[in-house]
Amino acid sequence: MMKNVCIIAGGMCAWGVREASLRDMFQEAGKACFDDNKAITNKVIDGLLVASAYTERSAFQTHLAPVVAEYLGIKPRTICARVELLCASGSSGIILAYGLIRSGIADIVMVIGGEKLYMPEKWEVFYSELASVDHDWDGPQGLGLPPPAFAMVAKQHMKRYGTTKEQLAMVSVKNRRNGLNNPNAQFREPITLETALNAKDIVPPLTLYDCCPITDGCAAVILACEEKAKDLTDKPLVYIKGTGQATLNNMSANMPSWTTWEALTIAAKQAYESAGIEPSELDVAQTHDCFTISEIIEYEDLGFCEKGQGGLFIQEGKSDFGGQIPINTDGGLLSCGHPFGGTGIRQAIEIMHQLREDATRQVEGARAALTHNLSGFIAAHTVLIYGREP
Amino acid sequence: MAGLKILEGKYIATMDLYPQESREFNRVYPFYEHLRQGRFTTTRCKGCNHEAFPPRVICPNCLSEDLEWIDLPTTGRVEVVTEEEVGVPLGFESPLIHALIDLGGKLKLFSRIVHCQVGHLKEGDEVKLYVFPVDPVPIQMGRETVLKERVYYAFEPVKKGKSENQVN
Ligand SMILES: [Zn+2]
Repeated sequence: MMKNVCIIAGGMCAWGVREASLRDMFQEAGKACFDDNKAITNKVIDGLLVASAYTERSAFQTHLAPVVAEYLGIKPRTICARVELLCASGSSGIILAYGLIRSGIADIVMVIGGEKLYMPEKWEVFYSELASVDHDWDGPQGLGLPPPAFAMVAKQHMKRYGTTKEQLAMVSVKNRRNGLNNPNAQFREPITLETALNAKDIVPPLTLYDCCPITDGCAAVILACEEKAKDLTDKPLVYIKGTGQATLNNMSANMPSWTTWEALTIAAKQAYESAGIEPSELDVAQTHDCFTISEIIEYEDLGFCEKGQGGLFIQEGKSDFGGQIPINTDGGLLSCGHPFGGTGIRQAIEIMHQLREDATRQVEGARAALTHNLSGFIAAHTVLIYGREP
Repeated sequence: MAGLKILEGKYIATMDLYPQESREFNRVYPFYEHLRQGRFTTTRCKGCNHEAFPPRVICPNCLSEDLEWIDLPTTGRVEVVTEEEVGVPLGFESPLIHALIDLGGKLKLFSRIVHCQVGHLKEGDEVKLYVFPVDPVPIQMGRETVLKERVYYAFEPVKKGKSENQVN
């Protein structure tokens, strides 16, 4: 008998350039998560999954999960391990916790993730990125976490579908606006379309505001089986309804298509089918806006609009509050920043608030929601669907 | 330059952006030996004829271990160009130019383009394989430490002279 799984608490530390170590931020995020729901203490957690990608490079620390358990006063007995899928480490941890709880192996699991990316000397983070793509074949071409790759995606999407630089800029203007009142976001200043369009080039056609920043930060959520959830929260229950994760290639040479992300369409189909839901039934979504072009392609490949219509989708306000489906309502990666292992968890926290109807900027009457991460060289895609019903 | 005294002069494999290419550490070492001969190669499965890139020790299609080396084209045509002038990683010089290149319909590579200036490389231009030495690796062999030479590859414009003279 499969169990229903709920997300019953979530919290994060301040994200940005932090004067703090990785373990400091794990403590801050764990504390914020427990503070979100006073009925849950560190003593009731039976499993711990820790999502972090650069721990060996930025903190010279493997075997990370027991470190975090010790600092948070958690004594796991069902699972205590680290999960790594770079930018999707956090959402991978949530899928694994969901599976463990659904199958009855665990009851109450904390998924916590984050990164310390700013090093005493800044070259080191860019250099470490060469290990995040295919180290032997893409890294030696100078392809780190890849403005060049996304610039190429943008050029091809613009050529093939007529997507414009203005439409790219509209994504960053929207997400910066959404992040204005998010106290944990790295950027809380609005930008105008004019500012975005006149910003310095990173890799043309992508300018400064088309790219998410480098970020220190951590976030945590607690998942529980429905029976325990009913005892542990008096807030509306938020269920995980379905999941999907897909990959078709790792090295750039094996990318099936640069403008249609086929692995995303597969992960989305798997998630929609397992949740028994259509894209049109979703009320709100957090998608992986590592670059503005990413969010535009995600509108298309998640099925919110027809292929090639992603530029129009943002231009017509369909991904904004009041539109067809508000996207990145907490500011997304472009506002919040992107500490790889923390991002999927940050998305889950925002969706939990939206479905509990206690978000900072609330989508009225939200009942069903989606999160999406891409990871690596656009090499894997992870989709989760949440709802007020199981 | 400040640093860690205990690591001074030490080779650190986990900080090496290039692969371990030598026979002692890599079963696809012939790829790099072929590069030195100006050849760009990969493995083909003798069982199902599947050509994989990068080269393998098993066929990702039928899982056979019976593979052979084949030559890929060393010239290709540019499909898309990107030019990175800021945020170039340590080990590379700005501008860092990349192109999606079609290698004779066999393979599409997203490769670094060297000997090329910003604004010069265009869609449809021809590029060719360029092989260059990279830092050797000190390998302990018994009581000795032997320096193993390494190479890597990028591509360069075929009409190098012409493109350098084109100012606009
Ligand atoms: Zn085969």
